[in-house]
Amino acid sequence: MKSLSLPGQPSKRGRGSLRAAPGLFGWAGLALLLVVPVGLFLVTAFSPRLFDQGSAWFSLGSFGSAIQSGVLRGILDSILVGSLTAVVAVAIALFLAWWVARTNLVGRGLWSFLIWAVLLSPSYLVALGWEQVLVSHGAFWDLGLRLPWLTSLFFGPVGVTFVYITKGVPFAFLAVAPALAGIGREYEDAARIHGAGRLRAWRTLLPMLAPAIWAGLALVFAETISDFGVADTLAASSKFPLATFTLFNSIDNFPVHFPVAAAVGWFLVGAVGLALLLQARAIRGRVYAVLSGRTRSPVRIRLSRSGQLLGLGFAMGFFGLALGAPMLGALTSSLLRPGSAHLAGAAVSTIYYRQLLHSGALIAPLEFSARMAAIVATIVAVLAVAMAHYLTRRQAGVSARILDLLLLATIALPGIVLGAGYIFAYNLPLINRLGIHLYGTSLLLGMAYLAGALPTTTRILVGPLAQVDQSPVQAARVLGAGPLRALAAVVFPMVARSCLWAWLLTFTGVLFELPVSQMLYPPGQFPLSVAITTALATYVYGPGTAMIVVAIAFALAVVGVALVGFRWLAPRGWRNLAVAQR
Amino acid sequence: MAATRVNPRQGRIVALILTAGVVALGALLATPARLVGAKSQDVPLVVYSAQGYDKNTVAAFQKATGIPTEIVDDSTGPLLARIAAEASNPQWGLLWVDGDEAFAALDRQGTLLKHFEPKVNWTAAAKKVIPADKSYIPTGFTLACALIYNSAVVSTPPSSWSQLTGAEWRGALGMNNPSVSGPTYPCVAGVLQHAGSVSAGERYFEQLKANGLVIHDVNGDTLNALQSGQIKLAMIQSSAAIGAAEDSSLKVAFLNPETLLPSVIGIDSKVSRQERLEAERFAEYVLSRPGQHQMQVGDPHGDSLYWPVLRGVNPLPALPQFAAVPYQVLNAYSWGPREAALNNWFTNNIVS
Repeated sequence: MKSLSLPGQPSKRGRGSLRAAPGLFGWAGLALLLVVPVGLFLVTAFSPRLFDQGSAWFSLGSFGSAIQSGVLRGILDSILVGSLTAVVAVAIALFLAWWVARTNLVGRGLWSFLIWAVLLSPSYLVALGWEQVLVSHGAFWDLGLRLPWLTSLFFGPVGVTFVYITKGVPFAFLAVAPALAGIGREYEDAARIHGAGRLRAWRTLLPMLAPAIWAGLALVFAETISDFGVADTLAASSKFPLATFTLFNSIDNFPVHFPVAAAVGWFLVGAVGLALLLQARAIRGRVYAVLSGRTRSPVRIRLSRSGQLLGLGFAMGFFGLALGAPMLGALTSSLLRPGSAHLAGAAVSTIYYRQLLHSGALIAPLEFSARMAAIVATIVAVLAVAMAHYLTRRQAGVSARILDLLLLATIALPGIVLGAGYIFAYNLPLINRLGIHLYGTSLLLGMAYLAGALPTTTRILVGPLAQVDQSPVQAARVLGAGPLRALAAVVFPMVARSCLWAWLLTFTGVLFELPVSQMLYPPGQFPLSVAITTALATYVYGPGTAMIVVAIAFALAVVGVALVGFRWLAPRGWRNLAVAQR
Repeated sequence: MAATRVNPRQGRIVALILTAGVVALGALLATPARLVGAKSQDVPLVVYSAQGYDKNTVAAFQKATGIPTEIVDDSTGPLLARIAAEASNPQWGLLWVDGDEAFAALDRQGTLLKHFEPKVNWTAAAKKVIPADKSYIPTGFTLACALIYNSAVVSTPPSSWSQLTGAEWRGALGMNNPSVSGPTYPCVAGVLQHAGSVSAGERYFEQLKANGLVIHDVNGDTLNALQSGQIKLAMIQSSAAIGAAEDSSLKVAFLNPETLLPSVIGIDSKVSRQERLEAERFAEYVLSRPGQHQMQVGDPHGDSLYWPVLRGVNPLPALPQFAAVPYQVLNAYSWGPREAALNNWFTNNIVS
């Protein structure tokens, strides 16, 4: 692999304090956003007294309570489900990405778009949708498909893993698709010239994707073990306890036991530490810089009729499973007349949609969350590129590895940990006495959103950025461009589409974010997710599900406008270079 | 020259961070809403509430008294988690949710203002719920475990708890999972209390399970199962049951005894004197006729379907007379601390 590109740029080790300043500034920012809040939360496992969560200054009792409440079983279940999910999701994502990025498969634009639809359907909605379809007397039952074996299979580890796989594929896809599309034609050509068949050429390409594949595996694993939406619904009703369910049980039941939750948090961080260790061993010391200004667009393989049918069958099968059930669930609930349980013609009504638009219950929360999401996404799109770039440089040392662990550990911890950690850190009497009143403001909520989104987005960008070759940057610098110019003229075009995807991912993520919103939202300003869940908590599903349908339609519209806008507005060169091609 | 002086990567990162800073600043300036906590002269009353009628009641209170009032409206679980996380520096002034178990626990922690009781004409049931140290007050009653049944398939609903384990109701009864649905714990605790002991109550639930008890996560799922014919009857909170029965073939019945589920107000003991006075005025307002009116119009098909705690105030017409309901009161101080353990037992032994 080392012969594939020039080595990274030579490092100039600066000794002056001015040179260290930007790095220090970045670490200080990360400390305020991530390290301090998450660290303080985790510390309560040892020292409950620190934040008035108990009487002992130092105690290991919370670990004992966590083990008693079944955390070991939960963490084992989570690790097994997380590993299986990661492997299968990455495999599915590779197939999808290959068809979308490398072949002339019909409907490539639609499949890329639907990936986003899967990504932004909340996991609890997917789980509930399937429950409604498969439960006895559910939608399948109404259609005459009475399959009790399928129902009992679904309400257990198989169903839980299945839902996680459908939710994990988009994360894996976003990690591997840009990489697959970005590997220039020259490598494939070289392989073919030397007599390799199509399959053999594939085998040449696959190792080049290693950073993206590993990034995808680690990301899906961390996202899966930190999920609560499925853990609290399908897994809980299937008597299949996952670690996050144990964590939430200690917070959701009164009295609230944050120290026990923190102890469970340590187990989750430990699991991610193991995953990261594996990843580090797998790609240590190799170079994957294959994307440069000379990169030529790969030739799309012209699929035969049977190839098209196979690809279409795969894509339609996956999206049908991933989106069909939850959409059917949400649409039927939101379109039913009050008091009816079946989707028969006579019972269909748009009453909930009319009520929703009339009451304005959705407009203010949607506006608030959309504004927060846009601000946070803009900042994340910039910072995540910078951090991913930092993580993927060749000279990445201990600091990059610490950063990597920090990011993945944060992904592995459920959102409520971040929410509670922010309250611990920024609601300290000491902070208030300094005249800083951040808790209960949109600013703190925005910071927490930023902290929650930055790790996932950065990790997704690590794949594509590992492939950016430094030689064009060096060429630009040799020709007299300053660092900013080199960044704007050389690096940015190569990662522009990744930035756009990072923006969209963060935007949709923040728009629907629940646990941090619940803990930190400013009095009187209701985020979208809080408005939806309080509406869903009432006995009628209709208004809540109508809100979900409208909100998802809004998010999809934003995604559509952004993708179409990029296609029309971005300079042609950017699109040619853009690492994630349709 | 620049390349020899400044590490280009660091320069890039600085540039990116600066750009992000400019965007953040721009957004900050462009956002008119409350962004940073400017402490004004007026101390606003901060209400944490999970009631369906809270927003209109808070607005009406603010209009009537001129006291600036802010509301954090959410489900009970997240609100209590938020209060617990704020323990070292509480930001809430008043908590208003269903169920007094959490209030008993907060009282034990010394979190609630004691010895405050509005001078109102309480009903007999309300007097049974107010704790000796007056650390919280009831504002209305629902029942934790009302029986809702499909009248199309059930002509005579059961009238006692023991009938539910009979062959007639095999596979026909549903309820929520108390680990997921907040108001279901008082229902479970009520059944245990009526059974005479925790172990006797647990045996009763095991009998229900053997008789095909169907557990769903929350009310919506359970009601859906009832309407789709998967089950014939279900135990859910009375306000949800009566609301669901308003325009369908569903009907509501009461077993003997039903467990009272009070909606409760508690005031933070650490608030400033001014906010404490504001919170007390809020509690008094809620228990006044205008306040009761707001509670009854805010969520007419849900939480507004409660029985008043005040003599002389009638419930909404959809509710039967309270005198006709056989009820029992749970001791919040003894049942509250068992919530986590019992929910855990329920999940492990009854949910399947």
